Amino acid sequence: MNRATLPVRFALVAFLLCALVLFVQADPSPPAADAKSAADIIDKFLTARQTDANVKAVGRSSDAEFLRRVYLDLAGKIPSVQECHEFLDDQRPNKRELLIDDLLKRPSYVSHFTNVWRAWWLPSMNTDFENPALRQSFEAWLRARLSENATYDQMVREIVTLRAPGNRGIRELGVSGRGQAMNTGVSPTAFYQVLENKAENLGSATSRLFLGTKLECAQCHNHPFATWSREQFWQYAAFFTGLENNRPKREITIPSTKQVVQARYLDDTVPEFKQGVNPRVTLADWMTAKDNKFFARAAVNRLWAHFMGTGLNEPVDDLREGADGKELLDELAHQFAANNYDLKFLIRSLVLSDAYQRTSARPAGEKGAEVTDEEQAPLFDRMQVRGLSPEQLFDSLVEATRYQSTDLPRVRAEFLAKFNNPTERATELQTSILQALTLMNGKLVGSATGMSSSKTLEAVADSPFLDTPKKIDALYLAALCRKATPAERDRLVAYVDKGGPSGDSKQALADVFWAVLNSSEFMFNH
Amino acid sequence: MTMTPLTRRSFLTTAGLVGVSLSGWLERLAADAATHPQRRRSCILLWMTGGPSQMDTFDLKPGHANGGPFKETDTNVPGLKISEHLPKIAQFGDRLAIIRGMSTKEGDHGRATYVMRTGYTPQGAIQYPTLGSLLAKELGHEAEALPSFISVAPYRADNPAAYGSGFLGPRYAPLIVGDTSQLAGGGGGGNRYDEALKVQDLEPPRTLARAHADARIELLRMMEKDFVPSHPGLAPQSHQMAYERAVRLMSTSAAKAFNLDEEPTALRDAYGRNLFGQGCLLARRLVERGVPFVEVSLGGVNGGPGWDTHGDNFTQVQRLSGILDPAWGTLMEDLKDHGLLDSTLIVWMGEFGRTPVINGGRGRDHFPNAWSTVLAGGGIKGGQAIGRTSPDGMTVQDRPVSVPDFLATICEALGIDPKKQNDSNVGRPIRIVDKAAQAIKEVVA
Repeated sequence: MNRATLPVRFALVAFLLCALVLFVQADPSPPAADAKSAADIIDKFLTARQTDANVKAVGRSSDAEFLRRVYLDLAGKIPSVQECHEFLDDQRPNKRELLIDDLLKRPSYVSHFTNVWRAWWLPSMNTDFENPALRQSFEAWLRARLSENATYDQMVREIVTLRAPGNRGIRELGVSGRGQAMNTGVSPTAFYQVLENKAENLGSATSRLFLGTKLECAQCHNHPFATWSREQFWQYAAFFTGLENNRPKREITIPSTKQVVQARYLDDTVPEFKQGVNPRVTLADWMTAKDNKFFARAAVNRLWAHFMGTGLNEPVDDLREGADGKELLDELAHQFAANNYDLKFLIRSLVLSDAYQRTSARPAGEKGAEVTDEEQAPLFDRMQVRGLSPEQLFDSLVEATRYQSTDLPRVRAEFLAKFNNPTERATELQTSILQALTLMNGKLVGSATGMSSSKTLEAVADSPFLDTPKKIDALYLAALCRKATPAERDRLVAYVDKGGPSGDSKQALADVFWAVLNSSEFMFNH
Repeated sequence: MTMTPLTRRSFLTTAGLVGVSLSGWLERLAADAATHPQRRRSCILLWMTGGPSQMDTFDLKPGHANGGPFKETDTNVPGLKISEHLPKIAQFGDRLAIIRGMSTKEGDHGRATYVMRTGYTPQGAIQYPTLGSLLAKELGHEAEALPSFISVAPYRADNPAAYGSGFLGPRYAPLIVGDTSQLAGGGGGGNRYDEALKVQDLEPPRTLARAHADARIELLRMMEKDFVPSHPGLAPQSHQMAYERAVRLMSTSAAKAFNLDEEPTALRDAYGRNLFGQGCLLARRLVERGVPFVEVSLGGVNGGPGWDTHGDNFTQVQRLSGILDPAWGTLMEDLKDHGLLDSTLIVWMGEFGRTPVINGGRGRDHFPNAWSTVLAGGGIKGGQAIGRTSPDGMTVQDRPVSVPDFLATICEALGIDPKKQNDSNVGRPIRIVDKAAQAIKEVVA
């Protein structure tokens, strides 16, 4: 028998060698691009699409526009007046690129994206101000990972494969009243607690967030719009069984039936479970594999939507096969994976692009208040106006007014609760009447524009070095990161010099500041 | 003039703070709206947070082991009996339709609240609007200064989405008052109702001269005129609309609706000097001024799920009845005195009922199988109970009613077609009430 198998083995090895050679030669994908090249890829693609649609993209944003926008997007709040001056006076031709690099290194990047990822991954935590322990624990974990620039796949893997030490159930990782994860220090355990350790909840959430696939509707019946069946939902949820006692089963009974289904990946392939290896580890391996067609695309689409207003695929967490931007999404996904899922690489690619740096102003002469039709995919020919998160709004108000309070955390928490606005898209953020009233008459803006308690206003009003036009400019810089236009200045100088309706110039200046802080130009990211 | 709703093909070109001042033509417009010739109906929802026990309110089983200590009292309709702890409401028996056959599926606070208040089970992407938003859209009048949907002291923690306008957007979002947690220095129970039942931040700081308050709004208007037309988008439009409505609220006398001290002391006493009682008084004032939908929640000490009586059920229910009865009874009387009862539908409900079997802690647990809701006032044929539960209260023996059936009945009583469709946020139209719903015809006048 040995003699017979020897030539077989030889043939097998030869065959494998040939296959290897062919495989290496056949791999056509170019080496990983750097962020600048990826940005170019974005622009090339979009320009081609715009040309096809006979649409001309608008021009580049002004320095002031770009400055405010990139600070909001990377630091979570508007720049200080000092930072405005520094950037606007900077003569270097590559100052935008340098600013982006600088912002990505700052602690504010970490705190801003802690809020951003938390809002995406645990949206129900946005309103949990009565019981902040869970939210704080999750934020602590996010902060730790973002500070060390953990790669995206590492972060997702950590969530998906989370286990308590020893053989205990996942409840052992629970968060105590003081927000301390009880056994393992910093961990994303809140993710499981919020979802009540239930297989169906974890299945829904992980497929939507990490794989860009909304399975929820299929939980009870075959999905009405897409092709997911009830069976497929439960096959995926089956990965998350046995959390309570750390005895995963790799199968699950569909509720109200006798049907038992085996754990299957979303593309219906059969997992290769190994003895002693937790099924969620196997799932995480599949998820984060470089050729997984869901994982990278979902991440890219979400970040694209974050910076550009709407996703290349909409809805942002439900990737469709036939979407318009599929080619670009695939290419960027490939680059993201090739760059080891480095989040800063992806962010740089997006914000270095011309598409991100376009102005948000509609060119003069265009008529009509047309709003992008839902059916028509956006061409990204103009930067869209996006709402601010409650954190961005509060922190920007504080920055603009240099608001000070001995009780800032409580004031901030109250404000965040009032402004919590669950919305799928930042371009569709709603403002309620109560929010408008709070901004107009509430204590925060009130004290910030009150003559005796606003640092910004005080400094400007009392300054002997500033004439009225310069005072107006100072207020505009503080709030809007730009100087007033000549027309604005003329109008407002006249108002202030006259002292408004009562001849009180100081109050008139406060009125101007109040108006600027309540304006759409302040409230939005544009 | 009715404005078209905020759609993606938006009409708002010159929208915004058009010619607004804090004393001006809006006054006239608001006054016109209040005496609008086609006065439509209004709806007051009395929401019992936590799941009120039907066995101890509207469907008693005296003499049965499950019955508990409460006795029945006659209403002014022979044969129609309710809890002895609801004597004032009992005097309006002829205006009540008690639905004893409610039979629903959800036993979890969050889900049950969502289903009762939207008519649909939570389904991932679709943001179903709450009942108040749906009805406000049908019944409201655009030019009115007061928002069409006002929510008093809601307890939203169990399911915030169940209290929002969902895909109907900010125009139909509720104006919320009575949120004691928002008061500086914390809740303090139901005693700070005067403070709590005002619209927060309605007025500019006292130290600000009125002329400046007007002038700065004018400055803002000019800034918006410069920026918004060149930056079209749904978010800025929503922002403008909110500001416009806020200024309207500030600038007309509409906000005087919240001045409860305009009412006689004796009346305020009759409603009950607590958040719920005064909230019902506020509801009457709002309905009087044309607000089509007001909801008032009754819960625990700080607004929590007070009716969730897993333990010590009878003490708690008696206490809550002691708040509910004077408030609701006086509300009926007060509406009648103002000639509003025939055009105002009152809905009494919670998210589910409670177990007939009394548990070890003298309490009752969640029970959606067989419970009660009540419809009263305008559009309703009162003096009757619809449906019947078994002697032990465990099942519905006659005329089970589902959530959509119940909500469809509410629509019919208000003259609204429950099958009417709205544009949703997932691109397909969604009916106000699920199309399988069967309204309880016997109850609709």
